Amino acid sequence: MKNVIRTWGWEGLLIVLIALAAIWSSTLSPYFLDPVNLLNSGQFFVIFSLMAFGLFPIVVQGEIDISLASTLAVGSVMLGKLSVDGVPLALALPLTLVVCAILGAINGLLVAVAGLPSLVVTLGTLGAYRGIAYIIAGDAGVTGIPPEYLTLGSTWVGIVPVSVILVAIFAALLTVLMAQTRFGRYSYAIGNNAKAAQMAGVPVAATRVAAYALAGALAGLAGLVWVAQYQSARGDNADGTILFVITAVVLGGVSIKGGSGRAVGVLLAIILLGTLQTGMRLANVPGTGQTLVIGALLIGSIGIPRAVQLVRERFAAAPRGAASRSVTSP
Amino acid sequence: MSAASTPTKKRFSGGAAALRVRFLGVLVFLIIIAIVFAALSPRFLTFDNTRSILFTAAILAIAAAGQSLVVLTGNLDLSVGSIMGLTAYVVFDISGKITALQPVVLIMAILIGALLGFINGFLISVLQIPSIVATLGTLSIYRGFVSFYGNAREITTGTLPPFMRDLAQAIWLGVPAYVWVALLVVVLTGLALRFHPWGRMLYAYGSNPKAARFYGLNSTYIIIGAYTGAGVIAAIAGLLLGAQVGNINSLLANGIELQVLAAVVIGGVSIWGGSGSVYGAAIGAIVLATINNGLVLLQVQEFYRLLIQGVAIILAVAVDALVQKRVIGATTRRRIMEVQA
Repeated sequence: MKNVIRTWGWEGLLIVLIALAAIWSSTLSPYFLDPVNLLNSGQFFVIFSLMAFGLFPIVVQGEIDISLASTLAVGSVMLGKLSVDGVPLALALPLTLVVCAILGAINGLLVAVAGLPSLVVTLGTLGAYRGIAYIIAGDAGVTGIPPEYLTLGSTWVGIVPVSVILVAIFAALLTVLMAQTRFGRYSYAIGNNAKAAQMAGVPVAATRVAAYALAGALAGLAGLVWVAQYQSARGDNADGTILFVITAVVLGGVSIKGGSGRAVGVLLAIILLGTLQTGMRLANVPGTGQTLVIGALLIGSIGIPRAVQLVRERFAAAPRGAASRSVTSP
Repeated sequence: MSAASTPTKKRFSGGAAALRVRFLGVLVFLIIIAIVFAALSPRFLTFDNTRSILFTAAILAIAAAGQSLVVLTGNLDLSVGSIMGLTAYVVFDISGKITALQPVVLIMAILIGALLGFINGFLISVLQIPSIVATLGTLSIYRGFVSFYGNAREITTGTLPPFMRDLAQAIWLGVPAYVWVALLVVVLTGLALRFHPWGRMLYAYGSNPKAARFYGLNSTYIIIGAYTGAGVIAAIAGLLLGAQVGNINSLLANGIELQVLAAVVIGGVSIWGGSGSVYGAAIGAIVLATINNGLVLLQVQEFYRLLIQGVAIILAVAVDALVQKRVIGATTRRRIMEVQA
């Protein structure tokens, strides 16, 4: 039992928080808990989920990618352009995914091969890719997208929107990828100690580039969802959403220092953030006010356990004095 | 203590030379883009245009000076835009209602900035939250606070203290007052970093946190100090930006953190901590402002600006990586020589 708590404690906490948020939201509106409504509001978080799933292996490896929203924009405007040029989706989608994967791989090469810090590299490509998206889309953006491209945003299986099913599929895929495959094991090894992993024969650079390429491709897929949901594509698509995505990943229990975290946690964090946002919208909390709650949740989720630990240490370590404290504060 | 002899020795090392080259590199880069723009557009090198570049760069340079303090310790402050926005909104809101407080807006701003910066530093040093996560959180929290505090009201130009409005328009000795203020803030910060023990501690901690600890430096105080300083400087930048914009809403300076970070990185403050200067960061801000200005004059579309800026950031950090390699190479060689001797 203790092991279960230790292993799944974070996910358990998230589930409890989701339940609390759902209870709070349902007191605000009787319609909140209606399954149709729930699944429909789930659609709004599909884009964030896909980006968060892409970011997740990168963070596990101890790196970061803040350019994903710009990659999404490249994906969405490319799809938009191709669609109005009459290219069938079956051709346009793979093409877009490949382009976005290449954009991601460029990040990966700069980080893993050139050895540059990922935050700065992706800060640079955040601007550069956004610029590319604007150049492709032009001033006006793309509208009048043919219905073939919009199916993902307007199809339901029973009461479940297809895009929500897409998220469930990718959550499962990411779980398998990170828990069962070589790539996943390598990622955790790199995140825990890249140097040791290198010495143990892990292809560190290749694994990193692969993670960035995967994130790029998932951002491209999120671009398709964007086009399907909003029926237009512009250069400024998803601008500024990356902070929300990082929040979701970190809140999902993925250590920003790398080496730990699970896809289920990321999914639960998205659900929690989604429930909270929906609830706050019902409570008429203004958009920027909602960010306060999300920020507090992010800091609280990491800070409170640490604060508790500090307080406990102070009391527990008192008899043994300074020696034990210096050991526990590296 | 051999501290007196070490710096003189360092002056001749390959590492220090590489760092100096890095700083000069930004200057040379600035001069090159200035020459290119001047060749392409006759209006670029006019007095008016140079003045307008410096004016645009002023607030960014101040914010970059604050950010440098934190980056020197090997951390980051993503909440800088929110600190700027919160300070401007709250200070000008209060001073608009209680006009007796108008003469002390600067003090109010400094207090608020110090508090917000302290919170950042506390989260990072005491609760040991990684700086990206902590300041990402406070970015949202501070911005959300303004939204609740402001309740969708906008502060109008008329309620601003008149002298702040005048300052935004003033021109002293042919140069906008803001440029002088920026120069003052940057030079004061630079002097504090160079000569005050606090500044030396930032560098010591940033270049090797573990060694700094063994040396007896208190990392908690250093980090809280760096963030408090950064908060104060960001608050000053916010105050100036608020006075310049006039009508302040809850989104003032939203998203500026990426530009500030870009200025710092282009200016040669190493993202690994421990090296770089506020002067470099200020020049980084001028580089960004120059690129913007030149591209507007050349009527290059906005889109290419993002692209060029992004590439400039990556180039800058690539050069940093090379310098870093030289520095590590130089110090390691020295260490080996010392061991052999």
